[in-house]
Amino acid sequence: MAIIDPIVNGLNSGWQHIDASQLQKNQQFEADVIIVGTGAGGGVAAEILTQAGLSVIMVEAGPLKSSSDFDMEERVAYPNLYQQAAAMKTADKGVSIFQGRAVGGSTTVNWTTSIRTPTETLAFWEQNKSAVGLTRESLDPWFEQMEQRLNIHQWNYEPNRNNAALKQGCINLGWDHTVIKRNVAGCWNTGYCGMGCPVNAKQSMLVTTIPAALDKGAQLVSRAKVVKIEHHNGQVFALKAQALDVNLRPTAIELLFKAKHYILSAGAIHTPTLLMRSQVPDPHKLLGKRTFLHPTLFSGGVFADAINAHSGAPQSIYSDEFLWKNGAEGELGYKLEVPPVHPVLIASKTLGYGISHAELMSQFNQLQVTIALVRDGYHPESQGGEVHLTSTGFALDYPLTDVFWRSARRAFASMAELQFSAGALKVLPISDGMPYLSSWKAAKESIAQMSLAPLRTVVASAHVMGGCPLGEDKKLAMVDSYGQSHYLENLSVMDGSIFPTSLGANPQLSIYGITARNATKLAERLAEKLTAGDKV
Amino acid sequence: MKRRTFLLSAFAGTAALALGVNLYSPELSLPDDSEGKDYRLLFSVLLPVMLDGALPDVATHKLVAQNRTLDAIKQSIAVLPSEQQIELFELLDMLENRLGLLLLTSSMTPLLMRSPAELTEMLESWRHSYFSLLQTAYLGLRELVMASYYACPEHWSRLHYAKPELFK
Repeated sequence: MAIIDPIVNGLNSGWQHIDASQLQKNQQFEADVIIVGTGAGGGVAAEILTQAGLSVIMVEAGPLKSSSDFDMEERVAYPNLYQQAAAMKTADKGVSIFQGRAVGGSTTVNWTTSIRTPTETLAFWEQNKSAVGLTRESLDPWFEQMEQRLNIHQWNYEPNRNNAALKQGCINLGWDHTVIKRNVAGCWNTGYCGMGCPVNAKQSMLVTTIPAALDKGAQLVSRAKVVKIEHHNGQVFALKAQALDVNLRPTAIELLFKAKHYILSAGAIHTPTLLMRSQVPDPHKLLGKRTFLHPTLFSGGVFADAINAHSGAPQSIYSDEFLWKNGAEGELGYKLEVPPVHPVLIASKTLGYGISHAELMSQFNQLQVTIALVRDGYHPESQGGEVHLTSTGFALDYPLTDVFWRSARRAFASMAELQFSAGALKVLPISDGMPYLSSWKAAKESIAQMSLAPLRTVVASAHVMGGCPLGEDKKLAMVDSYGQSHYLENLSVMDGSIFPTSLGANPQLSIYGITARNATKLAERLAEKLTAGDKV
Repeated sequence: MKRRTFLLSAFAGTAALALGVNLYSPELSLPDDSEGKDYRLLFSVLLPVMLDGALPDVATHKLVAQNRTLDAIKQSIAVLPSEQQIELFELLDMLENRLGLLLLTSSMTPLLMRSPAELTEMLESWRHSYFSLLQTAYLGLRELVMASYYACPEHWSRLHYAKPELFK
């Protein structure tokens, strides 16, 4: 049975797509709205604005890849679909960061977990970050709308053994656990969401909103990196972009985009970086600061029977037992989930080399991995990271502070307790110097004493948030609660950079829902102005 | 002699000096083109130590796997962003000259003249160093080698892993 590639079919049907790597000369584009980035924010905004009758151009730095290219191999997926070939790190190399870089952004490579923004998070934003109108009641209809649009449903099949261990441990210990909702339709349950869905079951932006927008006449320009926002007197008048070659390196070809309104959806590193490089007004020096990562710790459990953590829906269970345990502003809480285990990911994110590493890898199919995602940005000592401009790009400083390490120690203990409870024979906290632990009692003692430090303890992130926060107080926020810039009249931001803290949940549904709300409002505003014949 | 050829010859000489080998003596295959450095000799010294226990036991198979990994390392480096490439090349260049070796390992002894135990000692001293520069050197090499080795489907048999066959 051949798998239909909707992107190939769409292109054959006449979609307006320009691969900027193929351009031979400078070019100018015009539309009602230019959207920079095609991830969770850009994709949703493109569909809504196009449906409202506006002409839209999507500009994406990554390539247009589709199911025909998705061969379930990390060596192909990482360079094609991830920022910096999945080797992006914070400035001190202490945190590895996985972020998408292709049409569809991170939604093309995420693990499909769809969670509404937690009530505690929204309350914190309202009380502490001057957010207005982002309440449970006001947002739930938008989440519901996007859940319907992207076929987001609870995963009602058996969890794979990796997730089942998380579930069983929670049941045995009486801990909270939840069956995850996933954005899939006709999922084959293979487990390769992170390398691009090979069967187009994942309802990513790549196969949903972006095709819908293209069907209605929107234009997509891929391999084009927006490098500057041209602005004057509180108005943006153009975006300058560089065409990239097939290896995503800059070429001499320059592109100019002009529109009535501009939306930045380049993600929580590149949106602030673009604003900083363009020297947009930032009187309170907020841009790039308070960048959050949900810094994540790993614990390996070796089981007697096969776990086969590479196979099956990668995430179907989570536990919030420890997420809000100490209140929003107390000691940092953490969410427990599991990752898929694939050869490169696990070989590079574990410890050591030689015999010890080979032995760990030989237990590949018996390895259950649990992760703890630390909720950063609420505690006064958890201020997140800061994006700096460099001569060639950016650097992200993210200090791993004492308050994080205290949480990490608790998280390692929770993960070990859970894994032993679920039947692990031995547990390896992924922090250099730790041996295999043979019982919960031994683990408890050892983890209490373990040495935790940047570079020794493996820390990773797949959730980059913040750096261009929302809110009504200009001392705290760059954009208002609808994502409208406080300083540039015809500029909005619609991506994870507007979150004033981390979410305490996997971000995609928060971005979908909040963008749906904000883009709908923007579409109404733009339509009114167009109807009135005003200059927008 | 063209300048480029001269530079490449100079590099090869330096590498041979630091590694302590005649450039044409190893059984390991040499680069099939001269487009830039690929540090094949350097990695050919490190692979048996870093992949001990993972490489096949049979000598001929082991050599094939090492060569495959050397190709994969070249490919891995090629897709890195230029800033990371520059950092990595600085490290590799240091490992290929005696002064760099002295700074990084407190010894000018070329890497190929070091025993596996001595190479392990070098890696361990970086791994547990108080200097983040040495720790990142260790982690950078480690991640590059591990990712490159396990990126190759030929090396998955010990994992008892294969990707699914879909009808495409």
